Amino acid sequence: MAVQQPPQRYPLESPDPEAASKAETPAQWRRALSTVRSDLRELAARAFLPGERPPSPLLRYGAAVVGVALASFCIALIMSRVHIENISLLYLLVVLWLASKFGRGPAVLASVLAFLAYDFFFIPPLHRLTVGDPAEWLSLFALLATSLVLGQLTAAVQQRAREAIASERKAVASEHQAIASEQRTATLYALAQLLVTTGDASKLYAALAERVVQVFSASGVAACVLLVPDDEHLLVPEASAPDTGPLAQALSIADRNNVSEAAWAFEHGAPVGKSAHTSYTGTSANPEAHYFVPLKSGQHVVGVLGIAGSSAIRALATRTRPKSEHPGAATQNAAQVELFSAFCDQIALTLERTALRERAIHAEVLQESDRLKNALLGSVTHDLRTPLASIKAATSSLLQPGIEWSREDRRELLCSIDTSADRLNRLVSNLLDLSRLEAGVAVPIKDWYLIGDVIATVLDQLDLAGVTREHHIVLNLPQDLPLVSIDYGQIEQVLTNLIENATKYSPAGSEIRIEARVLPSSELEVRVSDQGIGIPPNELRAVFDKFYRVQHVHLPWATTRPPVGTGLGLAISANIIQAHGGRIWAESRPGEGATFIFTLPIPADHPRGTLPELDLPDEKSETAPQLASSSSSEPSARGAAKEVPA
Amino acid sequence: MADDTTDSRTPPAESLNLAARQPGARVLVIDDEPEIGRAVRTGLAGAHFTVEWVPTGVEGLEQVAQWHPDVVILDLSLPDMDGIEVCRELRTWSQVPIIVLSVRDREADKITALELGADDYLTKPFGMGELIARLRVALRHAAQGAGSTGPALFRTGTLVMDFERRYVTVDGREVHLTPTEYEVLKYLALNVGKVITHRTLLHAVWGPAYDDEAHYLRVFINQLRRKIEPDPSRPRYLLTEPGVGYRLRGTD
Repeated sequence: MAVQQPPQRYPLESPDPEAASKAETPAQWRRALSTVRSDLRELAARAFLPGERPPSPLLRYGAAVVGVALASFCIALIMSRVHIENISLLYLLVVLWLASKFGRGPAVLASVLAFLAYDFFFIPPLHRLTVGDPAEWLSLFALLATSLVLGQLTAAVQQRAREAIASERKAVASEHQAIASEQRTATLYALAQLLVTTGDASKLYAALAERVVQVFSASGVAACVLLVPDDEHLLVPEASAPDTGPLAQALSIADRNNVSEAAWAFEHGAPVGKSAHTSYTGTSANPEAHYFVPLKSGQHVVGVLGIAGSSAIRALATRTRPKSEHPGAATQNAAQVELFSAFCDQIALTLERTALRERAIHAEVLQESDRLKNALLGSVTHDLRTPLASIKAATSSLLQPGIEWSREDRRELLCSIDTSADRLNRLVSNLLDLSRLEAGVAVPIKDWYLIGDVIATVLDQLDLAGVTREHHIVLNLPQDLPLVSIDYGQIEQVLTNLIENATKYSPAGSEIRIEARVLPSSELEVRVSDQGIGIPPNELRAVFDKFYRVQHVHLPWATTRPPVGTGLGLAISANIIQAHGGRIWAESRPGEGATFIFTLPIPADHPRGTLPELDLPDEKSETAPQLASSSSSEPSARGAAKEVPA
Repeated sequence: MADDTTDSRTPPAESLNLAARQPGARVLVIDDEPEIGRAVRTGLAGAHFTVEWVPTGVEGLEQVAQWHPDVVILDLSLPDMDGIEVCRELRTWSQVPIIVLSVRDREADKITALELGADDYLTKPFGMGELIARLRVALRHAAQGAGSTGPALFRTGTLVMDFERRYVTVDGREVHLTPTEYEVLKYLALNVGKVITHRTLLHAVWGPAYDDEAHYLRVFINQLRRKIEPDPSRPRYLLTEPGVGYRLRGTD
C-alpha cells in the first residue's frame, strides 16, 4: 500500500476505473444503493417501453418478418391438431409487440405480412393468394385493419410515454442540479462563516480540517491533514481530522514517510499522491488512496491539504470529472469536484490572511513594545529613581559616622525609606503586570468570588499602606450581590488603581464612595467616586491610554508638587476589565469630582445558594441550657442564612 | 522537631500568648540571598529570637536535623532545590512550623506550599513586624499542638468563643450561630492567625465531597461575617486571604 512505500512520487497516471464501483464507506453505500434503484427503474421501463436508442431498421423490420413467420408456424402447428376459428388473433399479438417495441413501421409491415401469410397459408385455396369463400375476405381484411389500427395506437402511446420519461428525467436532473448548487452555496457559506468567526488560527485550522472530512466524506475523503509552511518554509501539520484514529495516523505517517510528496506538491503547485488497487476497507489503517493538494492563492502556494480515503478522492485531488455510467451521479461528482476546488481556494485565502495578520500583529507588537520601552525609559528616570534617591539619602544619612540622630529624626528618615520602598514595589508590580498583560500571558484565571471580598481586601491593603488615611471611605454594597467569575488578583488591582487614583486627585478629608449594584442587563456595576478636581470632558477617554496623565493638573488644595504616578494604572485596569468581558469608563462633573465605573458580566449559570447545613446535634441546648437564650430551644435544623438577633 | 526547646512549649494556662513571648526561640532562615539573611537575622535578633541562616536547601535540611529550630523561614527559590521540595521533604520527618517567604505571589504557589505542610506564607517584600507576628503565631500553634488540650475560651477583639459551652458572643451579646457556622468558626479559632486554605476548611467541616466548593464557602463565610463582624463589609476578625483561604485574626 501507498503508506509503506519508500519515499517516492506518484504522478497521477494510475487511474483505477474499477475502484469507483467499490463503494465502502456508508456514504458510498448510499450512493451505490440509489444507483441500483435507478437501474431497476430503467429495467422495468425497458420491458414495456422502447429503448433509448432505436435498433437498426434491418433489425426492426427483420423482427417483423421473423415475428410473422413464427406466428404463422405456431398457427400451422395448432391447426394441425385442432381447428380454431379466430386463430389469426395470434398475429395481432405479434403486431402489438412490434408496435410497442419498434414503433409504427415494423407494425405496419407485420400487419401486411400477416394479411398475406394468413391468406397464403391458411385460407383455402391454400398456397395461393386468392380467396375462395367471400366470408374469408371479411375476416382477412378485419385482421389487416385491426393490425394496422392497433399498431398505430400502440406506437402513439409509446411515443407519449417515451416523451414523458424523457421530460421526467430532465426534471430529475435539473432538480439534482438545483439541490447540489443549493448545498454547495450552503456549504461555502458555512465555511465562510467559520473563517470569519474563528479568530484563533489553530482552532480555525482544526475546524477547517474537520469540515473537509465532513463535507467530502461522500466523495471518499475519510481523513485530512492541513500542512502550513513555518518561518523556514518547512511544512508543518497544523491540524488533522479526525484527530486520532487509524486514518489520521496513516496520513501523518504518509506525510512523514513520503514527506517529499507534500513538499513536492508545495514546491510544484500540483497535486500528488497515490491510489492503490488493492481493495480498501473502512477499518484498515491503510487508506486506499492519499493525495496532497497544493492550496494556491493566486500563483502562490500557501499550504498543502492532504486527504486520504477511497480511491474516489483522486477525482477531487486532480480536479477531473470522474467517469460514471449514470448521468445523475456524474453531475453530482462534478459538483463535488467543483466544491472541493472552491474549498481549497477558500482555505488558501484564509491561510494567506492568517499569515498576513500574524505578520501585522508581530509588527504592531514590536512597535508597541518599542513605544513602551521608550516611554518606560523616560518614566524610569523619575518614577524609579525618586524613591531610590530618598532611600539612598536616608540610609547614607543614618550611616554617616559621627552624627548622633535624635529619635524623631531617625524615625523620620526610616519612614521615608519605608514609604519609598513601598512605592518602588508597587511600581515594579504594575510594570510586571502590564508586561504580562500585554504579552497575553495574564489570561484571567477565574473563579467565583464576591466583589465585597475583593473590595475589603483592597481597602485593608490601602489602609496598611496609609493611602486612604486622609479620606473617608464610604461603602455601599447590597448584601445579596451574586458571585461573579473573576481573577481575584486582577480585579483587586483594578480596584487598587481606581481607589488610589481617587485619593490622589481629591482633597484630604473628602469622601470616596465605593458602590456596587446589579444592572438589569445582568452585569455587576462597581463605581468609585471622588470629590476631587474631576477630568476635563475631552480627556475622559485618553486617561485609559498608557502613560497618559491628565494635563495641567492643578490641585488647589495641594501644597506640594502634582501627584506622582506612572500613568499605567488605568491602562492596566482597562486591559483587565476587557479580558473579563466587562466595560470600564470615566464620568466627571468638572470641579465636583470623577467617577470611574466598571462592569463585570454575571453569567446566567452563576452558582446560587450556599453550603449545606451539617446534620450536627445542637449540643449547646443540651450542655448549657442555662446560658442559652430563649431562642435556642429550637431544633438544630436552622436556616444557614439566619440573621444575627439584633 | 521542636521537642528539645521546652521553653517554647510551656502549656498556656491563662494566656495563649505566653509561649510566643518567650525569648530565645530558635529560627532557621533558609534563603540564598545574603542581604535578606542579614536583614532577617538583625531584625529577629532585635526581637530576641536566636537566628541561624543557611543559603541552600540541603544545608537547611541538615540544620533542622542537627540544630532543632523552633520554626523555619523558607525561601522558595533556592539554588540547589525548590523550596516546595524542601517543604515536602521536611514534612516526612518533622513537624517544625514552616513560614514560607517568597517573591512568588501567585495563589497557586501559596496553596501548594500551605497544603504541603507550610504553616504560613509571606510575600517579599515584607515588613519585619508582619514576619514577627507570623512567627509568634507559628510558635504558639506548635506549643499548642504539643500537649495541651487547647483552651476553653477563645478571644479576639470583642469576639469571644466558649468552646465548652458552645457559646459565642460579640461585644458581650450572644450571637446565634447554626451548628455548621459554629464548626467553621471553631476550626478557624483553633488555628487562629494561620491561613487555612479553602480546601482544608471545606474538608475539615463538610468532608471530602466538598473539597472543590470554594465559591459556596465564600457565600457561607459572607453569611457568618454578618453575624460576628461589627462591619461585615470591612471584616476585622474573619479575614480573606485572597485566592488562598481565610485567617482568623488574633489579638496581637
